[in-house]
Amino acid sequence: MAKASVRRHGMGHPEPPRDDERHSRPVPPMIHHLLRRLALGLVTLVLISFVVYGLIRSIPGTPLTVAVAQTDPSRRLNPADLERMKAAYGLDKPWHEAYFVWLGNVLRGDLGRSISRKAPVTQLIGERIGPTLALSAGSLLITWALSIPLGLYAAARSGTADERGVSLVLYMLYSVPTFVAALALQLVFSVWAEGKPWELPLFGMTSGLPHASTVAWLADVARHAILPLVCMTYVSLAWYSRFINTNLQEVLRQDYIRTARAKGAGPVRVLVHHAFRNTLIPLVTLLGLSLPALLGGSVIVEQIFTWPGMGRLFFESLRERDYPTIMGLTLLFSLLTLAGQLVADILYAWVDPRVSME
Amino acid sequence: MTAADQTPARPRGFWAEAWSRYRRMPLAMAALAFVGLLGAIAILAPVIAGTKPVVCRYKERLYFPCLAYYHRAWEPVVFATDKFRGEYPRNLREKDPESWAVWPLVFQDPYRAVRADEWPGLPGNPARDEGRPSRRNLFGTTQAGVDVFAKMVHGTLVALLVGFVSMGIAATIGITVGALAGYFGGWVDAVVSRATEVVMCVPSLVLILALLAIVEKPTIWKMMAVLGLTGWTGISRLMRGEFLRLKSAEFVTAARAVGAGPGRIILRHVLPNALAPVMVPITFGIAAAILTESGLSFLGFGQPPPSASWGSLLNDARSNLKMWWLVFFPGLAIFLTVLAFNLVGEGLQQATDPRLREARK
Repeated sequence: MAKASVRRHGMGHPEPPRDDERHSRPVPPMIHHLLRRLALGLVTLVLISFVVYGLIRSIPGTPLTVAVAQTDPSRRLNPADLERMKAAYGLDKPWHEAYFVWLGNVLRGDLGRSISRKAPVTQLIGERIGPTLALSAGSLLITWALSIPLGLYAAARSGTADERGVSLVLYMLYSVPTFVAALALQLVFSVWAEGKPWELPLFGMTSGLPHASTVAWLADVARHAILPLVCMTYVSLAWYSRFINTNLQEVLRQDYIRTARAKGAGPVRVLVHHAFRNTLIPLVTLLGLSLPALLGGSVIVEQIFTWPGMGRLFFESLRERDYPTIMGLTLLFSLLTLAGQLVADILYAWVDPRVSME
Repeated sequence: MTAADQTPARPRGFWAEAWSRYRRMPLAMAALAFVGLLGAIAILAPVIAGTKPVVCRYKERLYFPCLAYYHRAWEPVVFATDKFRGEYPRNLREKDPESWAVWPLVFQDPYRAVRADEWPGLPGNPARDEGRPSRRNLFGTTQAGVDVFAKMVHGTLVALLVGFVSMGIAATIGITVGALAGYFGGWVDAVVSRATEVVMCVPSLVLILALLAIVEKPTIWKMMAVLGLTGWTGISRLMRGEFLRLKSAEFVTAARAVGAGPGRIILRHVLPNALAPVMVPITFGIAAAILTESGLSFLGFGQPPPSASWGSLLNDARSNLKMWWLVFFPGLAIFLTVLAFNLVGEGLQQATDPRLREARK
């Protein structure tokens, strides 16, 4: 994959960027690079959808047979009906032919209709995007709000006993599998806390009862969101604060930090103003890379807490062999992944003038 | 003074140097020791927990029935023809009073519940949610009454095999593909880069579930193959970068000038120098593979029962959360194993990364 190449002026951590450099950089190579990236991205998207279409059509069972097997055998379709339905859904064609039909429809802006849910795929995705966004955006916000102070704290107190304790705990959190954490949280806050004031709902997004007002509904959703949010946040929190800490440690060894200290800047000013601002570049890149996770949701968390989001839709449609929905979601996820990488590269070049797009 | 003392010390190799640095990190060493312990448990699983004798003398001959836990076909045929049906203690006594046997440390089976009096005087395993941890069942029992301790001891082998074999496959593919792309560049690189990008962008769950569904009946070996086939992209990208960097190094030009062909340059000159950086993602990859396998088993996509995978215990826990021991013990085992491999990877990184070494000075 084409990546923005890093051209460094000299060794070690470079001096802060100068403004005139930013303006004097020629623009055309950037646009040329972007066009190239977009073209390559399109090729990759077509390849991905082709591969995934082939893969899911090779999984034993079709949407028709899997759905029928779940209902009682007396209602099984007779062969003639099955053939008729196959033709209606375009399942009678070999997969490589059916793929191009699908691709043609997509190019015309039509993602098709879900076979098992009898609704347009775009509508299904639209319904699920809200709950997923609520979880992932919430988790991202908490992560950023907590990891920056944590990272700064760890860097400031580097080597002390309390910093080592915090870092070790964070490192251990990073190794806790999400599904183990989810089960443990359910056990402690739902099963053991039954009837106690801190009891939290085991799963779902709402309790299903009618709500008096929007505020009551929001409060109910918030209560249901606590456990999934914790599950989605702790790993990224551990990872981000470690990342920030490591970057800060590297920056703090630079000469210009010594200079800042020598001219009498206080420890807080050195840490925040001189050091932290110079670690923002990789952080900004991470923002781009977290784009797919923002809308993709987490299959495991949504599955365990039966949260009606994109991850769960994906898991269910995979189980129901609902080809149009799987394809729609795959397209969306891949698009986001590629876009995220592109955004990361552009952000990288934008915040750091030493990076050139070639 | 002997002659050996006078010769100047031969500069130590890269790996000897890395090892001496690694040895000075207590946490990484502890993690390595833990991995070693896991390995010992995995290999000795049938000796630690089982219902088949480790060694027994039966009708004038020695047998090792515990080998059946490694591979079902290794169970001596004589016990099948004599209709033991897996119940060794009683049958051995009844069918050959002269027989003797050395038993595993814990008389419990990872695949079935031990019945009452199977071992003289030993009560049967409690079933359903009655089986909380006790002296008989150290880690409790599952809904079906299978001993959790035995399951977990035997699951260690599954976890380690999944980690090492799948990462072995992934590393082989990743190193080969990345080396070829980095060394030859041009259209080879274009094709490989596109393929890597496709595998990276396809949601890994689709890829894994689709491949698992295609092979049908996902045994643990097929699971490893699938994890290996989907987990090579990071290694390949790193390897490609290393080769791009090293192929214009002076020692490569020198080798080419002496007349070495591309095969020799790749294998003898560049690869040994490019291997250190990929060791780190491989170690992290082992942790990730163990995590993915237990996650898949947890979601119900693993090896069909009877399976000793740690994740399948967690799957059991989902249907009855009151059985906290089904969450606690396997969860702890997965956590500690993943943590240990992550710490080993971290230590390896610090021991082999020249940048970090410079920073330390």
